[in-house]
Amino acid sequence: MSNIAGKAYAMNVITPIRWYKVWINRLIFKIALNKPSTLKGLVTLSLIHYARWVIIPRNGFPHLHPSQPKENLSYAYMLFFSNFNGSWDQYVDSFTFAIPSGLDLFWKWNVRYPKSVPLTPFHCYIKHNQIDTAHYYNAYPMAASNDVKSAKKVKKALIDFKSVSLEKSPDEFFVDYNRLLNDLQSEFGEMRHTPIVSLSADAVKRRHLQSQNQ
Amino acid sequence: MATRSGNATALTVLSPIKHGTVGGTSYADIIRERCLRLPIHERSPLSKVPNTYLARLFILDDVFYESLPGNDSVFNFSDIFSFFSDQARRNALPKKDHLKSKYLVFSSNFYGDLDEYLAGMWDNWAYMDGGVQRDVRYIWEYCVAFDEVTDRDGFISYMKRCQLDASLFFNGSTDDSLQEQLKSLYLKQELTKFAVTYQGRSATEIQQAFRLFIERVQPENLSGPSWTPGQSAP
Repeated sequence: MSNIAGKAYAMNVITPIRWYKVWINRLIFKIALNKPSTLKGLVTLSLIHYARWVIIPRNGFPHLHPSQPKENLSYAYMLFFSNFNGSWDQYVDSFTFAIPSGLDLFWKWNVRYPKSVPLTPFHCYIKHNQIDTAHYYNAYPMAASNDVKSAKKVKKALIDFKSVSLEKSPDEFFVDYNRLLNDLQSEFGEMRHTPIVSLSADAVKRRHLQSQNQ
Repeated sequence: MATRSGNATALTVLSPIKHGTVGGTSYADIIRERCLRLPIHERSPLSKVPNTYLARLFILDDVFYESLPGNDSVFNFSDIFSFFSDQARRNALPKKDHLKSKYLVFSSNFYGDLDEYLAGMWDNWAYMDGGVQRDVRYIWEYCVAFDEVTDRDGFISYMKRCQLDASLFFNGSTDDSLQEQLKSLYLKQELTKFAVTYQGRSATEIQQAFRLFIERVQPENLSGPSWTPGQSAP
């Protein structure tokens, strides 16, 4: 199991939906897609790199060869993949506390979804339907989603500053430099290894280091 | 299409695994073990696949039976009829589904076009496993119909046959190329260190040092100093 790569956690959840309710879920996703303001809550949470919902119809599992038995399912299935920063509890709890109604709208058509409030049944539902990741790769293990976004601002500000202020007199340069630091103060921060948030993830890391050194 | 958000693409691939065993171990368990053994971070084969932001592999063994108590509209409706017969309540219990195949799930978030990305997987996926060089075929080896894949085009077409469209793809980060993201992170790191190091120095001193800093970090040069994909230490 390797759900953690640096500061990111990979969540995989698969839940059944009655086939005749799939269209409702699809419609809600379509509305969310065409009206990004409906996802404002998710944006505000700002701990997600990328997330997605995939609906697999009852007969939608890939069938590649006559030798492969065809699936015969009672339900359609919804797959949820998320890449987020922080621990499992922080993530699940932040949904419950920050965007419970939006979350319910996405999942309430799923069989036995308990709603996101109260918290304990919701925790049980996610744990019951979660699948562990076997290999998780993160291109920037030291960075959180907010680091990626703030780094973009830093790069732009630095290039602008270089072209406008670098060749000014020292005093004028100093004024601009202080302004640059002032403008960017909320974007700064040195990125390092993540602290140990999971003993199993740490064990995976140590095992890999050990095998590399052999 | 929901599979894209700006320049970022969400790829979801479910490849059915063949039924069978090697030396008493099922194909699914062999694939699982191979995935678990993949080197991590900068040594992961995915670090060599251009423009991969975040990606994962896991085995979908089966779907879950919804045995937990829950608030379910149909179930609650059945409560009314259960006054007269217990059959309504029983009929409303969740049904038990089982998959007939296990699936290797590959989920990736990347920058750019799908064909180009899949070609990058075929060409660049490489790692050492117990002193042996492995390519992408090693992971998919026991998947149904993968033995028909012999070249890059075949791989692209195979992965597309296994692909599922996303209904909703949420991008909470940026949709810049990975090179751009890594360069920006590098600059953020270096500028932060610079600001701390030169705090309280004179204007002339800072300006001189800043010139050298710009020469060193080359902010506009994406192929110049930067972080490497999967870099796990400063």
